[in-house]
Amino acid sequence: MALRFENDFLKKLEYLHVVSKRALAGQNRADRLSPKRGRGLEFADHRPYAAGDDYRHIDWKAYQRLNRLLLRLFDEERDLSIYLMLDVSRSMADPAKFDMARRIAAALCYVGLAHLDRLTIIPFGNDLGRESSPGRGKGRIFRVFDTLERLEPAGPTDLRAACKAFASRPRQLGLVVLISDFLEPGVAGASSAAESARVERSVTKDTHGPQAGLKILRTIGHDVFAVHVTSERDRDPGVFGTVRFVDVETGEVREVEVTPRLAAAYVQAAATHAEALEHFCGRYDIGYVRADAERPFEDVILRTFRQGRFLA
Amino acid sequence: MTFAALTSVYAWLLVIAAAALAAALFFIKLRPPRILIPSLSLWQRVLDASTELTLWERIRRTVSLVVTVAIAIALALSVVRPSRIGGAVAAGGGRTLIVLDSSWSMRAKTNGRDTRWDRAIAEARRIAASSDQVAIATTADGLVQGLTDDSVLVDSSLGRLSPSAFGDTSWPTVSGVQSVHFITDGAVPHHLDPSIVIHSVFESVGNVAITAFDVRPSLAAARRGSDSQVGTAYLEIANFASKRQTVHITILRGTAKIVDTRTDLAAGEAYRQILALPRQGDAALHAHVDAPDNALDVDDDGFAWIARARPLSVVVVGDHTEWLKRLLTGDPDIRATFVAPTADRDNREDVTIFDRWAPSTLPAQPALYFAPPDDTPWLAGSGDAAPAEERRPRWDSPADHEVLRGVDPLTLRIDRARSCESGSLTPVARSSRGTPLVCVEEAPDRRIIVVGFGPADSNLATAPAFPVLVANAIEWLGRPEPRDLSVRPGLTTFTGPARVTRDDGESVPLTHLTTSAFGVLSAPGLYTIESAGARNTMAVNAADPQRSNVARTTLASNTTAAAPRNPLERPWWLACALAAFALVFAEWWTWQRRLTV
Repeated sequence: MALRFENDFLKKLEYLHVVSKRALAGQNRADRLSPKRGRGLEFADHRPYAAGDDYRHIDWKAYQRLNRLLLRLFDEERDLSIYLMLDVSRSMADPAKFDMARRIAAALCYVGLAHLDRLTIIPFGNDLGRESSPGRGKGRIFRVFDTLERLEPAGPTDLRAACKAFASRPRQLGLVVLISDFLEPGVAGASSAAESARVERSVTKDTHGPQAGLKILRTIGHDVFAVHVTSERDRDPGVFGTVRFVDVETGEVREVEVTPRLAAAYVQAAATHAEALEHFCGRYDIGYVRADAERPFEDVILRTFRQGRFLA
Repeated sequence: MTFAALTSVYAWLLVIAAAALAAALFFIKLRPPRILIPSLSLWQRVLDASTELTLWERIRRTVSLVVTVAIAIALALSVVRPSRIGGAVAAGGGRTLIVLDSSWSMRAKTNGRDTRWDRAIAEARRIAASSDQVAIATTADGLVQGLTDDSVLVDSSLGRLSPSAFGDTSWPTVSGVQSVHFITDGAVPHHLDPSIVIHSVFESVGNVAITAFDVRPSLAAARRGSDSQVGTAYLEIANFASKRQTVHITILRGTAKIVDTRTDLAAGEAYRQILALPRQGDAALHAHVDAPDNALDVDDDGFAWIARARPLSVVVVGDHTEWLKRLLTGDPDIRATFVAPTADRDNREDVTIFDRWAPSTLPAQPALYFAPPDDTPWLAGSGDAAPAEERRPRWDSPADHEVLRGVDPLTLRIDRARSCESGSLTPVARSSRGTPLVCVEEAPDRRIIVVGFGPADSNLATAPAFPVLVANAIEWLGRPEPRDLSVRPGLTTFTGPARVTRDDGESVPLTHLTTSAFGVLSAPGLYTIESAGARNTMAVNAADPQRSNVARTTLASNTTAAAPRNPLERPWWLACALAAFALVFAEWWTWQRRLTV
């Protein structure tokens, strides 16, 4: 599906910018305040003059009053490194869900590029995929679109391993946007009941599963934002009677007799899963937005993301 | 348990196979559809929470399997028709002859709305199911199915049987049978061997029947010159119910209703009515009775035919026929016309009388010849040889033929008689010297009477034998069959080849012998017989007080009663089929309904 947006929508996106909860130091000058002191427009502080300082920054008025040489310091405005981690595992193969994920990524890219942020697209499954080279400026948006259009869902999901691989490389601290359905083989992939129980306990302790990956990203200092993309099939089985569910990632088959009671239990379990993820994100100061694939895309971007304080 | 459709081994094999097939289909049919889902993790959590499954949900699949197998078994049982035979007497066993009483009374409806015949068939099936080999016979048809162990054949033979109009034939015997079972209502007594097991299907029910309905010539009609009344109809109705009831009586003459009355008859009371029949009107009479308590319908209708309602048309061909005119014009049963030989042509009258003249070829219609000329081509002696002739023959021995019945030959004085003997003519009266005086021909399509003398050769015109001879001859020629115009349904013999048709135009199949034919007049009604160029109508009635009195039986009270009996001994196939449908509904309730709640 072509990731092209209407001009009106693009204009709306240009009025938005990605909100980072923390001031992170960028590499290039831009319009975001950074923790660095340097040349900028916003006065930040004074410090005593030291040999070698640029005497143009000496505050002569302060010298007249205090008879001390003080140097004026300004907040430096830098760009923001945005890492868009897009889940391209088989669990995202639902066309509606994957399309929603790619369109969200494309929209965020456009917002970031429009504000001269450094944008890197990182597809992942059970490991990191090929990253796009960092870039900035709206001129790169079509290359971003092409990159996103070429992505195909494949392979299993291991969010923890992917995040671990992400953290293992030296990167500028920035905003990590994780777009995923946050569904992993997890307990279902366990080969025995004992292993299943062990994995279940580890998930509960956030040492396994998607929460562990998010925790890693947060721990190394990135500002993390989770975009939970779901489809109707994720939230509701949609069928009754005896069916054979096939895990698209592992190929595991489970025959289930879906009764109304069991279907309701599944709906409840899916809701609990989403709530647990949202609760985890809140606990670790991770932004969380849920994007249902069935909702209108513009509504998700312009309303949900703004309500989630990811875009402003 | 026994099975009506198959032997026990095959029946049980069928049941087991059906159950196995249903179980196999159950597992095959539940090959569920494959649905791709992003992850099984959530389902794993749901399914691991055992509290999500109620007890019913855990056993539902097993219950469904049991129900499916039960449906298959019920359907298989409904096919093999099991029954539970109780009692040693009722059970046949070994080689069995089953004789069914097929009299009319077996058509009586019982209080349970089925007929005695239905019960008899059910009882026969029950006995057959418990026997190794079975032969089937009825009292009217005799043996209809020889010894066989093919239950399907026996079942089909029983299904084809019906109460017959025939009277009882000789008691059927089958060699090698070990037991004989006779199923009857006892309406007609039978002298049976004590070893025969009698099964009674008798159940006392009320009935109203026409026990007699006939037409006779009245005395007034017999008087010469009386043309106002052709005869009288005699109707007898009996109430065989145990209570008084109102009987509705109707009599139709053709399509005109001449009687429409209601009368109260006490239990056992008979109603008799004599009805004068005017000459004008249709010849067909149809009586019908109706009453609330009336179990047998075959005796509710009576038919009669007024033979003399339509006078015979007679044409007399001759130059001097005054001697016949005086006789024929006074008879109301005859419509006579007189023509000269020159005006004779092939006509369609009932009877033709040739007075001292004969056509060159034999006419197709019945004809009476008085003193045919010597040169008549079809008579013996014609041509070169002169016909035999006897002067003053003596006819002193009475003849036995119908034409000469009542004719006193001693009153005749014959001066000259010509021999009437020919190739196809048979002499029925001869002179003392052997000269044929009266000859007849009774061909399939023609009847001829030749009298070898005429009024000029004898005192025939004035002899007392003359009107008797002419009346007999016209009757024999014009109304050849049958002599008795009212018979019972069943096998009827006709003298001489005939064609018999029902009043609805359907022809009755006849079996022709050399001098006679016989056919089955199966139902009451009017039948037209065509024989020897003449037509006649015969009424067939089922009136028989013995069979119509279905409220009594000649059976002893300790006879095995076939009905009513234990419900468990009734055929199970219907119950099995109903059970199958109930189980299908239960299966739907336990399986499909869950999807709609």
